[in-house]
Amino acid sequence: MKKILASTVVLMSSLCLSATAFAQTKEIRVLLANHPYGELLKAAIPDFEKQSGIKVNFESLQEGQLTTKLTTEFATKSSSVDVFMTRPLQEGKMFNRNGWYEPLTTQDFSDYPKNVMSVAAAGSAPFLVPLVTEWQVLYYRKDLFQAAGVEVPKTFTELEAAAKKLNSDTVAGIASRGKGAAAVTQLSSYVYNFGGQYIDKGVAVFDSAPAVEAIRYYGKLLGSYGPKGVTSMSWENIMPLFQAGKVAMWTDASVFYGQIVDPAKTQVPAANFGIANLPAGPKASSPFLVTSWGIAVAKQSKNKELAFKFLDWATSKELAAKGMLSNITMARSSVWKDPKVLESVNPGLVATRAYAAENGNPLDRPYMSAVGEARDQIGELVIESINTKGESANLAAMAKDKVGRVNDLLKDSGEYGQP
Amino acid sequence: MNKNNRLQNALFYVVVVFISLVVLFPFLWMLSSSFKTQTDIIAWPPKLIFSPTLQNYAKVFGEQDFLKYFINSTVVGGLAVGLSLVIGLPAAYAISRFTQRRLALFILLARLMPGISFLMPWYIIASRLDLMDTYVALVLSHMLIALPIVVWIMSAYFNSIPVELEESAMVDGATRQYAFWAIILPMSGPGIITAVTLSFIFSWNNFMFSQVLSMEKTKTLPIAVYNFVSYAEVDWGGVMAAAVAIMAPAIILTMIFQKFVVKGLTMGAVKG
Amino acid sequence: MHKPSFIEKNIRILFPLPAFLFIALLMIFPIVYTLALSFTSWNLTSGAPMRFIGLRNYGQILLEPRFVDAIVRTLTFTICAVVIEAVLGTAIAIILNRAFIGKSLAKLLLLLPLVSTPVAVGIIFNLFYDPTIGLANFALSSLGLPQGLWVSSAATVIPSLIIVDVWQWTPMITLIVLAGLAGLSEEPFEAARVDGATQWQVLRYVTIPMVMPVILTAVILRLIDALKTFDIIFAMTGGGPGYASETLNIMGFKYSFEYFRMGQASVILIALFFLVLLCSMGIMKLRSSSEN
Repeated sequence: MKKILASTVVLMSSLCLSATAFAQTKEIRVLLANHPYGELLKAAIPDFEKQSGIKVNFESLQEGQLTTKLTTEFATKSSSVDVFMTRPLQEGKMFNRNGWYEPLTTQDFSDYPKNVMSVAAAGSAPFLVPLVTEWQVLYYRKDLFQAAGVEVPKTFTELEAAAKKLNSDTVAGIASRGKGAAAVTQLSSYVYNFGGQYIDKGVAVFDSAPAVEAIRYYGKLLGSYGPKGVTSMSWENIMPLFQAGKVAMWTDASVFYGQIVDPAKTQVPAANFGIANLPAGPKASSPFLVTSWGIAVAKQSKNKELAFKFLDWATSKELAAKGMLSNITMARSSVWKDPKVLESVNPGLVATRAYAAENGNPLDRPYMSAVGEARDQIGELVIESINTKGESANLAAMAKDKVGRVNDLLKDSGEYGQP
Repeated sequence: MNKNNRLQNALFYVVVVFISLVVLFPFLWMLSSSFKTQTDIIAWPPKLIFSPTLQNYAKVFGEQDFLKYFINSTVVGGLAVGLSLVIGLPAAYAISRFTQRRLALFILLARLMPGISFLMPWYIIASRLDLMDTYVALVLSHMLIALPIVVWIMSAYFNSIPVELEESAMVDGATRQYAFWAIILPMSGPGIITAVTLSFIFSWNNFMFSQVLSMEKTKTLPIAVYNFVSYAEVDWGGVMAAAVAIMAPAIILTMIFQKFVVKGLTMGAVKG
Repeated sequence: MHKPSFIEKNIRILFPLPAFLFIALLMIFPIVYTLALSFTSWNLTSGAPMRFIGLRNYGQILLEPRFVDAIVRTLTFTICAVVIEAVLGTAIAIILNRAFIGKSLAKLLLLLPLVSTPVAVGIIFNLFYDPTIGLANFALSSLGLPQGLWVSSAATVIPSLIIVDVWQWTPMITLIVLAGLAGLSEEPFEAARVDGATQWQVLRYVTIPMVMPVILTAVILRLIDALKTFDIIFAMTGGGPGYASETLNIMGFKYSFEYFRMGQASVILIALFFLVLLCSMGIMKLRSSSEN
């Protein structure tokens, strides 16, 4: 009897031991976007698990769903997320204000463009590490330019003249996003180059004369020389047209170059596609250069030490170089100088990035919590302007009304007047 | 007179063929586009003759993991329909035999009310209970689609079975629940097939509930098809192949059970 | 006779109970919850705790032009689509209501749109409507007509969406009316023919009045579904361009799952709820008065 008891005790305690050993296995939960860099991390995670002994439970979500999931998990305080990919301009303001990001005090940020870091750090410490940057460029068709005897435009006046000259029944002179909210990011550089802003010191100001002028110009360009139905087009609709040879110029983010020249999709030889800086406006030449994706540690994480280990690995130079080789425009400046990497990167991309890293504006949309609604509001202006080829008599009044609405949104969340 | 008749007859068939073409055309276009390359699809004028390719299907099932979504849709639809039968059949029987009109109306409410008015609370509750992206949440929501169909169709079907059958069994000493189980249900095959086919198709096609309650793990086909459009640039060939893949099962089911489906769709209206 | 067991005594309650509880839990409770939320300031993005704010959400939403537009749009879309479907569907049913070669094939074809996944239907029509590569514009230009922008322009987006709805749901009315016609008795027709009525007169004074209740029922079913149309609009336009195709359902979805303004979203959802309720009750009244 005693024997049995003893062996039971031994058995029990060994069970307990193994149970605690099990509890000690190191695990973290990571949410990734199904962006190419997220895919790259996904593929590399087994290496990380092997070298660190940390088990990574990851989920890969679409960007919209990722934001939704993070917001509801954090807001209902039910989250077990340790590390997550995040879009600073879309959700950064709101997440940061609600205290959902862990401040990053020990990381080294000297390898990132200064303008980009000004957004990633609110107040004392940065709250995310930039992964991917994008900036606005002008894609154009070299062959069509040559045939028409047009030079690459350097100013908005030249851009409009070129669009007019290149526009024909079969080829649209210029394309850019016209689909309301989706157009707001691409419009931003036009607004900056006219000397305007979306938001200044926490107050919506896109009804200023330069901003309205920029919206008119954008509408005139697309309304007169844009593809048919441009007010329902985002990049995913424009790219096939550009690849089919139906568009002569396209202003959009730099990330699309790799896809544009994909031989399986395009009917135009890759050599005929060119990249240039967005032309300068009357007041400035400051295209956006933004962190489209960053990665952050969740404030409520209970495994911060492990989370930081993952963060450092995911933002390492080695992976950044790998990303560059997969056509991802990484945020780290050093990889843009790495000769091995540069061999396989389009020089136009390198040049425009160098320009934007110096002169770019780190915001491409109203930086606020209710950014989705604000984009819808500004999107209405874009559509009105395109529909009237920039001539709308209502535009200024509409802009004033929309500014009022965006300011209400800012007031709702307590961001009004906050720098 | 005879000539006139023949002319009328010919005219009639012209009209029938025209109607059929209008109905069929989008399907034909979808099918042909699914075998085209992107270049052929965006060609202008549209190409009627092209060399077909299977690359779109290869992409849909290879890169996109459509098989997983296919299984998800089947599991969610199957469980939702099965559970709806379990709780719906007795309810339909009660409505039919005890003329519980108010109950019928109450369950019908689920068919009438816009899904979105319960979706938001579900979403909040599901995230609190950590049920997001689980089969539990999806199956429960899809049951709200299937259950009213089951009850609606089956209570009408039970009405058509003479009460005398159970009554004579009960006179012989059987309980009512036994009569329901052993006499009524075995006679209800056609009704059950109708209810199952229709409610499965409606669950299969549902977009809104899954769009909100599912994510990567339990994503169903309609969401996968929708995401396919917004994922990369519009890859029309791939999208059309995905559309074929999602529609095929519902269409095949319809072909097999044509009579039942027609009956299910029209019966409520005709009976009043 | 055996002694009735507990189950047998309470079968009237026990049999429907699970279904009743299920609906109550999954539908009635959420609706009450939505109602409660509509009086609060809850907004997920603000991180602020929920606060009772009385009727303020109602005031804000009712004064919002976007909301009024959405109601008008929802009604326009629904009424236009359902009227076209009812007329077209009945006409086709009357044409097909005779024996002919291939009738069962024709009926099968009519079923196909009904069972098609709406999201996929929307995407197929988007390819049709594409202003640059779409077949719709190719057809127009081949006929020498000016090309349209279809769902890409605020002016034409609603009619374009109505076309899709009509394509998908007219067959349902046809099938229902066909079933109704099949159930009519022969006598009144014979009587009319004996009286020397023309085909048109038979149709006008005998057939249509006799199937009217069936037509009206079909219209009720369609009407309720059309008011709730979501998939096609969401997949094709997402409510755009701008807000040009934003119905109540889409607006409610955006407020809940894109803006996370749960309080205000609740007001929109309640409005939609009552719109559906009112319309169904109205038509049921109409139907019962037509039967008498």
